[in-house]
Amino acid sequence: MATITTSIDNTQETPGHRAPLVIGHHTYGSITETVCRVAEAPHPPRAWYIAFAISVLLVLMLGGLITHLLLTGVGVWGNNSPVFWGWPIVNFVFWVGIGHAGTLISAILFLFRQNWRTSINRAAEAMTIFAVVCAGMYPGIHVGRIWLAWWLFPLGPNQNALWPQFRSPLLWDVFAVSTYASVSAVFWYMGMIPDLATFRDRATNKIKKFAYGALSLGWTGSARNWHRYERAYLILAALATPLVLSVHTIVSFDFAVSQLPGWHTTIFPPYFVAGAVFSGFGMVLTLMVPARELFGLKDLITLRHLENMCKVIIATGTIVGYAYAMEFFIAWYSGSRYEGFAFINRAFGPYWWAYWTMVTCNVISPQLFWFKKMRTSPWLMFIVSIFVNIGMWFERFVITITSLSRDFLPSSWGYFIPTWVDIAMFVGSFGLFFMLFLLFCRYLPIVAMAEVRGVALPQPTDGHAEHPASH
Amino acid sequence: MSPVAPRSNAPTDASPAEQPAPMYWRSLEQFEETPEFRDFVEREFPVAASEFPAGVSRRRWMQLMGAAFSLASAAGCRWQADQILPFAKRPKDRIPGVPQHFATAHELAGYARNLVVTAFDGRPIKVEGNREHPLSGGATDAISQAIVLDMYDPDRVRGVIEQNGGKVNVRTWDDFASFLSSLIAGARTSGGKGVRILAEASSSPTRQRLQAQLAELLPESKWVTWEAINRDAEIRAAELAFGRPLRAQYDLTKADVIVAFDSDLLGLHPANLKAMREWASRRTPETGSMNRTYVVESQFSTLGIAADHRLPIKSSQIPAYISALEARVDAVLGGESAEVDTTKPLGEQLLAAMAGDLVAAKGHSLVVAGPSLPPEAIARVHRLNEKLGNVGTTVGFIAEPLPVIGESLKPLVDEMAAGSVDVLLVLGGNPVYTAPADLDFAGAMQKVKHRIHLTDGPTGGETAALATWVLPRANPLEAWGDSLAWDGSLSVSQPLIAPLFEGKSDIELLSWMVGGSPVNGLDLVRETQESLSDKEWRKLVHDGFRGETAPAWMSAKVLADLQLPEAPEASEGLEVVFTPGETVFDGRFANNGWLQELPQNLTKMVWNNAAILAPKTAEELGVVIGSMVRVTLGNRSIELPAFVVPGQAIGSVGLALGYGRTAAGRVGGDTRQNVASVGANAFLLRSSGAGAVVQGGKVERIGGSRKMATTQDHHQIDQVGLQEIAGRVPQLVREGVLEEFQHHPDFAQHMVHHPPLESLWTEASFDGYAWGMSIDLSKCVGCNACVTACQAENNVPIVGREQVSRGREMHWIRVDRYFTGDFDNPRVVTQPVTCHHCENAPCEQVCPVGATTHSEEGLNDMAYNRCIGTRYCANNCPYKVRRFNFLDFNKKYEQANTELIQMVLNPEVTVRERGVIEKCTYCVQRIQSSKIVAKNEGRAVRDGEIVTACQQACAANAIEFGDLRNEESKVAKAHANSRAYAMLAELNVKPRTKYLARIRNPHPALGGRFEPTEHGHGHGGHGDDAHAEEGHGHGKAAHGDESKKAESKKAEH
Repeated sequence: MATITTSIDNTQETPGHRAPLVIGHHTYGSITETVCRVAEAPHPPRAWYIAFAISVLLVLMLGGLITHLLLTGVGVWGNNSPVFWGWPIVNFVFWVGIGHAGTLISAILFLFRQNWRTSINRAAEAMTIFAVVCAGMYPGIHVGRIWLAWWLFPLGPNQNALWPQFRSPLLWDVFAVSTYASVSAVFWYMGMIPDLATFRDRATNKIKKFAYGALSLGWTGSARNWHRYERAYLILAALATPLVLSVHTIVSFDFAVSQLPGWHTTIFPPYFVAGAVFSGFGMVLTLMVPARELFGLKDLITLRHLENMCKVIIATGTIVGYAYAMEFFIAWYSGSRYEGFAFINRAFGPYWWAYWTMVTCNVISPQLFWFKKMRTSPWLMFIVSIFVNIGMWFERFVITITSLSRDFLPSSWGYFIPTWVDIAMFVGSFGLFFMLFLLFCRYLPIVAMAEVRGVALPQPTDGHAEHPASH
Repeated sequence: MSPVAPRSNAPTDASPAEQPAPMYWRSLEQFEETPEFRDFVEREFPVAASEFPAGVSRRRWMQLMGAAFSLASAAGCRWQADQILPFAKRPKDRIPGVPQHFATAHELAGYARNLVVTAFDGRPIKVEGNREHPLSGGATDAISQAIVLDMYDPDRVRGVIEQNGGKVNVRTWDDFASFLSSLIAGARTSGGKGVRILAEASSSPTRQRLQAQLAELLPESKWVTWEAINRDAEIRAAELAFGRPLRAQYDLTKADVIVAFDSDLLGLHPANLKAMREWASRRTPETGSMNRTYVVESQFSTLGIAADHRLPIKSSQIPAYISALEARVDAVLGGESAEVDTTKPLGEQLLAAMAGDLVAAKGHSLVVAGPSLPPEAIARVHRLNEKLGNVGTTVGFIAEPLPVIGESLKPLVDEMAAGSVDVLLVLGGNPVYTAPADLDFAGAMQKVKHRIHLTDGPTGGETAALATWVLPRANPLEAWGDSLAWDGSLSVSQPLIAPLFEGKSDIELLSWMVGGSPVNGLDLVRETQESLSDKEWRKLVHDGFRGETAPAWMSAKVLADLQLPEAPEASEGLEVVFTPGETVFDGRFANNGWLQELPQNLTKMVWNNAAILAPKTAEELGVVIGSMVRVTLGNRSIELPAFVVPGQAIGSVGLALGYGRTAAGRVGGDTRQNVASVGANAFLLRSSGAGAVVQGGKVERIGGSRKMATTQDHHQIDQVGLQEIAGRVPQLVREGVLEEFQHHPDFAQHMVHHPPLESLWTEASFDGYAWGMSIDLSKCVGCNACVTACQAENNVPIVGREQVSRGREMHWIRVDRYFTGDFDNPRVVTQPVTCHHCENAPCEQVCPVGATTHSEEGLNDMAYNRCIGTRYCANNCPYKVRRFNFLDFNKKYEQANTELIQMVLNPEVTVRERGVIEKCTYCVQRIQSSKIVAKNEGRAVRDGEIVTACQQACAANAIEFGDLRNEESKVAKAHANSRAYAMLAELNVKPRTKYLARIRNPHPALGGRFEPTEHGHGHGGHGDDAHAEEGHGHGKAAHGDESKKAESKKAEH
């Protein structure tokens, strides 16, 4: 049993001396022990039960609401003419955005050999997949005739006597999101195989043994296994990397390719990707700060990890802030009356509150991370991360709803007011997200043990570095 | 002909309103073994579900069809409810699936509207104007369009009902026959003492004939005519001015200058269509000189929207203003200068301008006054026209066929209250609802022993509720009848279908009373026209009217000794102006969903009435749009929301009548079914003898507010938005003054500057037809007829108040309305907007399932079956003409009690499912029908052969439709017109609909002058004189200082 110690400040970089990625005098064994303990404990912490119960209730509510929607029609939401896309699309983009951090951490940081990623990549990837599940739900139920939503897939002339319309960004979206979801899931699962094998080997009952055994696909830990595994991991990382950029680029095309003032801008792809990474890291922080506390993972998910994420947040938050400014500039520079008004209206029209909430949360609040104190106090950064989540939701609200509410002809201008169904479904999607995440925390290795072991040792203050990293 | 399966003659169902507590119904009657109960038992399902639609007796059917076919103008066949059998022999001229058209007429408050009704397989579904008729000219107004929906109203009374102290007994006509014969027999012994007949106003010669016969039979009986919304003031004015009742006829084609006071000429006036057509014919600069229209009124009318100059003053000040105008005209006629002094208040300026223009156009000007003004003021207008030499050119007279209504109800109520009336026969109408509030008509009526109401339910529910006998009345489309149009010509209406609920018409019931047995309506009408030969009669029925019966204009002379009292000074306080409900009239159309959901011209309000207030008045009262207010007149008050309308006269409160019905039905409100009333009942404030304008009103805020359902400006618009609208509207709705047009006929094409519009790819091109549309904004007055016509033609669903207030209305064509100028006296522009059928359609590119695609003829087609409802197309449509079925808006067609409504559906147009997008198709079904006919005849479609529903209804002829490739077509010529512009052309969407810029013709001293230098015109191509940012497109500010100032404040409230 490792004892938790905070005596080592691994957030300081001393020249010529690498700060440790894992603290607390861990050995390979104790790392395994620390991670496995979470899943092997006879009972999870009480907080887990409470959170899980609430989440399940919210999921049930969500199911009920979807049934209501199915039976009644899209009119249960606040959508209207001209705001034909309301909260469901806002939530879709919000969740897809959140789903960016995981693959970015696991794939891009892997390719860049950022070893610190190992402590957080597993949970971040899980978060990605669950966020994509939440996101994927919305476009499906958002259409007017939900029972025909499958027409979006190119099942070809044989089934429908017609292809889908390939010029529509919505169709690109179907491909982008489904590809992203499947590659992320495969990547996540494949990365988990060695750890699942560890779970299998430590399993104390037959059910676990069988389940983990099946999931670990006969992993033996042989050199051949490891070789194949690492090749595959690298290939998948290379595959997933462009997807990180493509998925939100294509989501942004839903807006950018249309000609609606406020949507029709070329800055959207990079701006959306930066925003997505921003929101994704925000959500990882929101999840990891309590999780490391709850499951005793402070040695593995150290302050340094958190601080690094804060740095990513400050960088992407600043990019987002730049994008906001550039949008205004271009709107003015374009000389288009409609474009210009779309932005004036965002900031000073009826939705000014949404706009300024967005700016405050996304541009101003991350700037607090310039202070080291902020970057190293988990609960302060937790608060900021909540602001980031709120801000990024509002960003999508501002883009989607304020642009739609006032387009070309003033006679058609409208105002969007959500219904209780809108609100409850959004809350319900959080229920779904947290339910899945809590199940993940309880039953799967939440830290990539194998990878952490590979980078954790030797520690400069630790004299026991002996075994090469292998299981 | 296949007979309809015989059925019980019993009425199918008491409307739910009429049903008693069912427990007692079942148990008590059972013991008595009454015919009601036996009948009840025989019917397996005693609800409407099983009996939709009602059966019709074989006898009635044979009568009607026999008569109709023998006349070669076959009336429709009714819907086959039970058996569908092929015709053994096809009736002449009847091709299944090919619609038939019948000329008929609809009488509204005594004035015929001449129509041609389309029937599909014996089922009337669409109303059009009678092209041959000089008043209609093929056009219709919104109300006429909607009458067909009234016929299929499931709330109609479905059979004879006897009511006795809260107990409702379903009877048959035979039961009523025995009651009636004993009643008449009894009445005859006393000469009809205590028999009173209360009827709606009607110009029907047949009814007059029967009325005379009845008076002969029962000399002591009395006939009372009541119409809450009448034109008494006009008749009285003629009596004053000419010494006899005359009706004014106008010829606006000859009027160079029109001055109108509180006029409804383009509104609910019985000759509104002719007026619109003629007015619009003088509004295009390229086809001759334009008229100039001045309007003085308290509340925006259709004519006020269309006017060149409008002065909002209180209605109570208008008589004095007319006097002032007369004095001024006298002065100018006497040689005084008509110089306009622009330093004086607007009222003064306009007075001078009007007088100058009227005199300058002597003999070709026209002054009109509406029926809400006092007779003295209207008489003065007659005198003014005479002084200006207009009689005989722009104005003429015919003898007035209708009586003055006056306070006809008062003596009747007194008699009823005194108990001296035994029998009250109410022939249609709804006096309980429309009677002056101080009379307590309902209370008095209940003292009458036998209260018989011939009702169609929804229109007369309040009165029917108090009647002892409720008789189903035939809808105008179900019965024979005759009536006179505004021009005095005789019209005949013929049934399009056998009465759905065994209804009888007024004349049938009267003939029954007179002759002891019911006579067929056809025979009655024919008998009235017995002087006609069969050939002439056939022609009359075929044409629907007899043009030669229209009396020639007489040029009446104003009495030499006409002394008109000085117009009384208006008091300082608030005045209340009662106006007919723009869509519901006096409440009779309150249960008509199309009309309730029709946006009112100016306010765009639906499903509601409100206290219309000027911004200043509202500010003083501390109310905003939707604030609940209490309007008090004398000791009566009503509570309703306020609606602030720029251009309402300060100090004038407008109240629309016809709302707040409590027994209209499931649409208009029915307290017994817990259906809330639509709006507030302004009749509760009207007392007998009071005119449309009452001074001394009080309005106070009572706290609380109501969300108003409007189809435009769903929410209050903030300053940022207002400024933007002010800048944008001139680019969207392009206008200029006549002088500007003369300088730069193509000014409208140069108001927005954009880079060259090039496509990134080679665009597909096709041979063959290229359908396109043009809408002339110079002609459009925003009357809304196109909206209802489209709704009827294209099965556009009704969504209801709640959904409209959420911005989910479904109309395929809407009339956008923008205010420009200052709040107190703005100008209004109207712009009908439908799908523009863009050649480079943004909607098509974004649909992931290819549900909206382009046809080879340039139509932007919707494949409803393919649509999954992503709504991306609607987001990407810059014109926002795509509509989404957020909910199952057509549920009512499937529900047992409301299934009847589906009979109104056009079988040629798909009914859209929940979750799909729909929009204007350019009436593709009409295009296809014409193409099929043309193909069969081996020729191309001729120009004008295809008429869209909106185009057909438009009285102003503002809409043209046709093939753009045919250079000779009207639409191609319109597109080539120098005024033509494409809205939002800068988006490179290449719309197939073009607008023709609105040209106004203001007085030269009041904004009519155009200063080219001011706007940089004059250097070739005037290319750099306007920028999108400039706020108002150039040329816009052409109307002098006053409006320049106004431009900067351009605003939509």
